[in-house]
Amino acid sequence: MANSARSTAPRLGLWLAVGLILLLSLAPILWQLLTSLKTTADITAIPNVYFPRQLTLEHYIDIFQRQPFLRYMLNSAFVAVVSTLLCLLIGTPAAYVLARLKLPGEQIILTGVLIVTLFPYILLFLGLLELVRNFGLANNYLALIVPYTAINLPLTILVMRSFFQQLPHELEDAARVEGYSTAQMLLQILLPLTTPALVTTGILAFIAAWNEFIFALTFITRDSMKTVPVAVAQLSGTAVFEVPYGALAAATVVGTLPLVLLVLLFQRRIVQGLTAGAVKG
Amino acid sequence: MPVFRVRNWLRRILLTGLAAICCGLVLWGQLGRTQPPVHLTMLTSALDAAQGQSLVAVFEAQNPDIKLDVVEGPNASNLIEDLYTSSFLLGDSPYDLVMMDVVWLPKFAAAGWLLDLTDKIPAADLADFMLPDLEGGRYNGKLYRLPVRSDAQLLYYRQDWLEQAGLAPPETFGDLVAVSKDLQQANLAQWGYVWQGRQFEGLAAVFVDILAGFGGYWVNPEQLEVGLDRPEAIQAVEFLRGTIDQGISPAGVSNYQHEDARRLFQQGKTAFMHNWPYAYPLGNAEDSPVKGKFGIRQMVHQPGLSSASCLGGWGIGIAKQTAHPEAALRAVQFYASPQAQRLSILDNGYLPTRRSLYADPEVLAKYPYFAGMSTVVENAVLRPPIAQYAQASDILQRYLSAAITQRMSPAAAMQAAATETRALLERRG
Amino acid sequence: MLKSPGKLNLQQQEQRTGWLLLAPALLLLLLVYVYPILRSFWLSFYSQNLGTELKPLFAGLDNYQRMAIDGRFWESLANTSFFTLVSVTLELGLGLGMALVLNQAFRGRGVVRTVALLPWALPTALIATTWTWIFNDQFGVWNDLLQRLGLIQTGVNWLGDPGWAIWTVIAADVWKTTPFIAILLLAGLQSISADFYEAHALDGASPIQSFFQITLPLLLPQIVIAALFRFAQAFGIFDLVQVMTGGGPGGATETVSIYIYATIMRYLDFGYGAALVVVTFAGLGLAVLLGAWSLSQLRRGAS
Repeated sequence: MANSARSTAPRLGLWLAVGLILLLSLAPILWQLLTSLKTTADITAIPNVYFPRQLTLEHYIDIFQRQPFLRYMLNSAFVAVVSTLLCLLIGTPAAYVLARLKLPGEQIILTGVLIVTLFPYILLFLGLLELVRNFGLANNYLALIVPYTAINLPLTILVMRSFFQQLPHELEDAARVEGYSTAQMLLQILLPLTTPALVTTGILAFIAAWNEFIFALTFITRDSMKTVPVAVAQLSGTAVFEVPYGALAAATVVGTLPLVLLVLLFQRRIVQGLTAGAVKG
Repeated sequence: MPVFRVRNWLRRILLTGLAAICCGLVLWGQLGRTQPPVHLTMLTSALDAAQGQSLVAVFEAQNPDIKLDVVEGPNASNLIEDLYTSSFLLGDSPYDLVMMDVVWLPKFAAAGWLLDLTDKIPAADLADFMLPDLEGGRYNGKLYRLPVRSDAQLLYYRQDWLEQAGLAPPETFGDLVAVSKDLQQANLAQWGYVWQGRQFEGLAAVFVDILAGFGGYWVNPEQLEVGLDRPEAIQAVEFLRGTIDQGISPAGVSNYQHEDARRLFQQGKTAFMHNWPYAYPLGNAEDSPVKGKFGIRQMVHQPGLSSASCLGGWGIGIAKQTAHPEAALRAVQFYASPQAQRLSILDNGYLPTRRSLYADPEVLAKYPYFAGMSTVVENAVLRPPIAQYAQASDILQRYLSAAITQRMSPAAAMQAAATETRALLERRG
Repeated sequence: MLKSPGKLNLQQQEQRTGWLLLAPALLLLLLVYVYPILRSFWLSFYSQNLGTELKPLFAGLDNYQRMAIDGRFWESLANTSFFTLVSVTLELGLGLGMALVLNQAFRGRGVVRTVALLPWALPTALIATTWTWIFNDQFGVWNDLLQRLGLIQTGVNWLGDPGWAIWTVIAADVWKTTPFIAILLLAGLQSISADFYEAHALDGASPIQSFFQITLPLLLPQIVIAALFRFAQAFGIFDLVQVMTGGGPGGATETVSIYIYATIMRYLDFGYGAALVVVTFAGLGLAVLLGAWSLSQLRRGAS
């Protein structure tokens, strides 16, 4: 029988593999967490001290007091939230149109949307740099919000489109019979239904915006306006006599915390969104 | 009539009221303008920011209307350059003052980011600066930067070992090799000569010294002629590679930066070291094993030629976009002043950029070797003062590194470097 | 039939609304994706750098000619290709393994899936600092582990050694993006009906045989899609390298995007930077077209 064939040996192998996945996925993050709680003496001890002999919060206090880390977090949150909302606002109607209405050239647009997801940001960088310079957007969050909205649009359109395609047509037909306009129908009938899909794409867009590096590195030169990834990356070389390993670890932990929470809460949705965006597109 | 009068009266009150409000606003504006001090911002490495705290305090005490904010940047100087570059390139730069390494100046000036200081500094004051330091602040004949700290590369040698072996300090490249071998054979020194061979700016600076000793040049700034594939340049590369081949330098030197070399010298493992003057006070520190046992001189040269040191050093310029050019000028002049330089020298041991300070009794009392340093700085050579220096230097570093690590022959490497450098400089539209 | 000029019929009206709803998204995509590429294309025929006082001067094909003799460009291209090839291959292999494991029924599978997803979601720049710390030559835990296991005698300078540095970046990238591939492949695995396997098992096939004869062929479209995505992302890798090594030591980890960034932001050589963008775009486009073509062949074969 199939079940008896699955005897203990393969089962053991499975558990080993599961253990390995857990270990490899968590080890670097946990190591950073441990580092952030160690005293500087423990951090730079040779041979390495694995478990802190004494727990300390000094590095966390350090990044919030000596560095404006709260500020960086708020900057990141602001840019990510605004660009995510904009992206949903612009992307959802577009996705609806591409799912339901028969427009000439629709296939070309869809192919184009798919193709641009493959563009590395470095290819956009020079052109955007010129735009930022010419419009005087240096040290203006628009210089980040506009590109972030755009880079999240393709995924939003693809995910939302595949969602709309799964909705039964009858709803809209009924709405039309009732005399709703397209916009009214979108807002009053479809929007409530789409909330779960919006949350899914919103999370993906938020993660991408929170993590973006190259535009944030270049278009914001004022320290008080920097986002978390750039602020942390630039923290490493700025101590006088040593690299502030403890502070770096604490900053990494704090900077990743919002995303860890998102993953813990919305793992299923993220997976759905990713597969809908990539596979069905 | 009374109605008319009342109206007139009212009008008068209104007018005086308006005038008073206007006056008040103007006064308020004046107050607003003078009351809070002008804020100046400058980006420096974290190390400089820490060392410069006392200077900021002195400056602010002397200029109560100015507040100077020093932003701590990374300690790697090319990262500071990148931060300044992107902030100026984008516009809306947060920085009023620009603390610059000597090799960045042409780029910053050519890009139009710096205020022209040519007519702002009295000639009498300029006369006190060492010529190469001042020249490093000029681009196309205009002054953009006042030097606040000088630097010139040196050859460090173990005086005690030379005396023990009855040898004189080397004069020529041949001497350096021969003396190194002698000291190694006499089991005095593990290594002969250490330098910076990693692919970074330090390698270009070492090469400039060696190249000068062979009588060659990198880029001639007037005609923009590239001299990297000339025989002198190839000989210079062969010399560097030869130090590894002959066992005078450890093979790891091809990955060394300044501190790697200093560690070996200070631990007493090597007879000669190529380095900046910062290593001198460290080598003579109380806990240093080589304290009082070494001397310094200019890098050696070919027989019949003379040597020249690669000039380094820092200076301060003013961002063109600054809203406070006058205040910024006062800050620049303060940092370059004898008083400020003396303070920073006595604290940190940097070389001054003013002639008067090389003869300053207080300075000489603390650093007697400065007396000999003034001629070294006076004769120092600049790395090519071209706007595309960073690019040219990266090209040179790549091919030098390839030659040193045996991936290319010196001749082939220098030919490729020369070709690329020419392509870089010829594109002038 | 009478058609009043002011009124549109239902379909036309619908189309007009459709275009209106689509317009903002299209405009934004044109502004952020299409314009920069076209602009780079145009600029690549100009010299705009410190030698021209940052003014664009027509230069024909000069930039492209210069690229042909630019040793650094070819080295960065070689580095990028090596990085992309090795990391995507490793990620596909490990991602497939991970997907197979996560597709099994076992207690706590949801938790394991969540944990496995974590690396993908975290900011690359922060992860880069984490790996920099792990591979630190003096205090890094990797050196310590290897020494405790007796595999090395003294600590290796992983990030500072030109031979090793690229491998540290590959390790970090594999750690970070394998979950992404696993998720895509897992979705593919779940769509394969169990009936196939049962029928195959009844024919006396071993699990390994059914993996190669059923799983792999049916999963191939997903594998190609994942590979395509990862190929494009890996080829444009920037943040990880920038934070971990900055392209060093001595250019050993310099990728094309690091070189483009330096050309523009450090050298202010906009014309040449534009030409580098165009060539990278063209190369990438060619590779992606190739991938897309093979995908369409696969899909045609499947249906």
